[in-house]
Amino acid sequence: MTSSTAAVLQARGLTKSFPGVRALDRADLTCRSGRVHALVGENGAGKSTLVRILTGNQLPDEGEVLLDGRSVRFADPREAMAEGVSAVYQELTVLPAMSVGDNVMLGQERTSRGLIDRAAQDREVRAALARVGLGDLDPRTRAEDLSLANQQMVEIARALVRRSRVIVLDEPSAVLSGDKLESLFTVVRGLAADGVAIVYISHLLEEVTDLADDVTVLRDGRVVSTGPAGDYDVPRIIRDMVGRDVDAVFPPLPEPADEVVLAVRGLVPVSSTRSPVALDLDVRAGEIVGVAGMVGSGRSRLLRTIAGEHPRAAGTVEVAGRPVPTGTRRAIAAGVALVPEERKTEGLVLPLSVRANTTLAALGQVLRGGFLSTRRERVVFQEEQARLGIKASDPEQGTWQLSGGNQQKIVLAKWLRRGPRVLLLDEPTRGVDVGAKSEIYRLVTGLAVEGMAVVMVSSDLPEVLGLSHRVLVCRGGGVVGELAGDDINEENVMHVALDTAGTSR
Amino acid sequence: MSAAVAAGTRPRRISLADLTRTGAAVWIVLLAAVLALTVADAGGFWAPANIANVLTATVVLGLAALGQHLVVLSGGIDLSIGSAATLSALLTALLINGYPIRTAPVVIGMLLLGGLIGVLHGLLVARVGLPPFIVTLATLYLIQGAAFTISTTPTGRVTSALSAVALERIGPVPYSFAVLVLAVAVVAFVLARTAFGRQLYAVGGDPAAARANGVPVARVLVTAYVLAGVLAALAGVLLAARATVGSPTAGLGLELSTITVVVLGGTSLLGGRGSLVGTLGGVLLLSLVSSSVTLLQLPATLTDLIRGVVILAAAAIFVTRARR
Repeated sequence: MTSSTAAVLQARGLTKSFPGVRALDRADLTCRSGRVHALVGENGAGKSTLVRILTGNQLPDEGEVLLDGRSVRFADPREAMAEGVSAVYQELTVLPAMSVGDNVMLGQERTSRGLIDRAAQDREVRAALARVGLGDLDPRTRAEDLSLANQQMVEIARALVRRSRVIVLDEPSAVLSGDKLESLFTVVRGLAADGVAIVYISHLLEEVTDLADDVTVLRDGRVVSTGPAGDYDVPRIIRDMVGRDVDAVFPPLPEPADEVVLAVRGLVPVSSTRSPVALDLDVRAGEIVGVAGMVGSGRSRLLRTIAGEHPRAAGTVEVAGRPVPTGTRRAIAAGVALVPEERKTEGLVLPLSVRANTTLAALGQVLRGGFLSTRRERVVFQEEQARLGIKASDPEQGTWQLSGGNQQKIVLAKWLRRGPRVLLLDEPTRGVDVGAKSEIYRLVTGLAVEGMAVVMVSSDLPEVLGLSHRVLVCRGGGVVGELAGDDINEENVMHVALDTAGTSR
Repeated sequence: MSAAVAAGTRPRRISLADLTRTGAAVWIVLLAAVLALTVADAGGFWAPANIANVLTATVVLGLAALGQHLVVLSGGIDLSIGSAATLSALLTALLINGYPIRTAPVVIGMLLLGGLIGVLHGLLVARVGLPPFIVTLATLYLIQGAAFTISTTPTGRVTSALSAVALERIGPVPYSFAVLVLAVAVVAFVLARTAFGRQLYAVGGDPAAARANGVPVARVLVTAYVLAGVLAALAGVLLAARATVGSPTAGLGLELSTITVVVLGGTSLLGGRGSLVGTLGGVLLLSLVSSSVTLLQLPATLTDLIRGVVILAAAAIFVTRARR
């Protein structure tokens, strides 16, 4: 079956180096028309570099790209598009201020005598939208009024307008969930049935085995394995990606102490929800409480309210018996630390060095005669580097250069310098690859062992299930259920999160 | 569930943000100002001579602001518009020097000169990758310096035909107003109906996204700066026509006025969002403010103070806020 359809796009021995790292090392890839080819690998495995070369965003140092067997060299995305190779990037390129129609036709405007041919454009836009399942969407709608899922469909519609024969989808599922994912699959399968060759990049391995016809696994810039999807199951993909078995992902949980560190009473965040549910929560030293729920269920807001960042409508928060006032600074002083969801904008000051980020929350420790001592800062950084296993070349390295996992460790290090009693984690492993995830899990359980009270919000259900003593489930702005012990499983969480028991809403 | 919701759109009400975005907000302020002036001095304000004053003031500012509007949409800024207009005004008067036969070639030459300045800007921004603020700050001084090198005092003389365009009027409408109307029509048409127009919003909104979708980013940027240069030069020609001589300070401060009106009109200085209707409203409002100081016999020294207050007040209510 594999050889029955012609190879449209092939990569042969592609190699690309950046200062200090070989991003791609003699990589091969064969895309056939009508087939979905999954490209998997950890962050930094070389997927993005490979895709950037195939789509004309980057030129390889060595190797060649073949289109219909003929060697091509795309110096610019325009050239790749002209040959029918398009990409839908993880970072959506929909322009919010423009209409859906203008977005779909961007760069492909149909003109007659120098003027935009509105009728022709409208026909094309409607046809393309219909193929991605948005046939009843008015092309004049502003793109910013669309959901993320539909913005993504607009991106795919763009590729259709270009008569693309190869479409690269870079992490299309990252912004989707549930039925949205199903409709994406339907669209992708439809495109493949029409003879388009699809390259599908994803972190979610279940969906890879569901959707793909072929699989290629990358690690450290090299192709580890490639073959028909039937030869792969999730454990094999993980093994190929990581280079070892990852069964011991979650370390054993420590036994919590009796001392209640965090005591929340009747807490209600200021919000527009009509009937807010007040939160009562005790977290003991050494206990990890997971918070699950759908995106938008108010999980993050709850966490930020405990951290004093979001105003309280009612309720109190106590740490080790002492009240925590509202206001971020005062909550920090009281021993509460929040590792925020937006690591790159709220957790870190990316342009600063790793040294400066590590000491940022506790500058008092690195003063010398009232002034900052860079030498002391370096010592502090090196202590944390050793303790948390931060992979950075030296204290002056720019934080933006680190991988997601190491960036997250810097955020943790920053708060640990203050010796917090309560650690609040919001999506602690988002954008972090498999290997670094298990390291973060070990760090968090280690902190619990040391007596910290941990509350963790996560969309990664296995993570919540595997790392929590208790699980709170959020819906509609407040906590609606709590699971403990043997009740903690995926079905129970989803039942409560989605209210499938049928109680009122 | 309505069809719109089913298709994945959020329903929305008309809000202050919408008024700002569509440029309607500044027109509301303009209307209020007109009402206030009518109450204060109906006879004086609505006199044809006064209306003509206001409209005359809009021409030079409006032409230059159209160019600024395009550049700001592209995500840039053009600080050299004032000095480009100055150089154009100075050279127009100097080269024509009273000879009617020279009028047409000199005017065309000025527009070419403006275009050339724009090409330089565009290439430095798009090809070399320098920030527009720095590039045009440098050319602001370069062009102003060139003008001072040519002459430090008002010089030259335009023909009576050219000055008639700026000074004569039919009822309350000066001839030169037709130039502005024409320019507005052309720019509006280009923005709405050409591929360049569409792509300009994309380049300003997200250059990386534009490039990823095959938009010729460099060409779009160069075109925007060329149009701005040509419009600034045209503004300069009309400055000379109005003064009948060429002054090396003719366009002083025009770049700041154009930025003011573009911002008042609700266009985002971050690029990619803006309304031509809003910018035109800003032009009228600023022209009204300047001419009303004279009308109400306030000391001319108050103009800048009033301007500052108007900008701050309007910004507090209407200007597109930076989004977090």
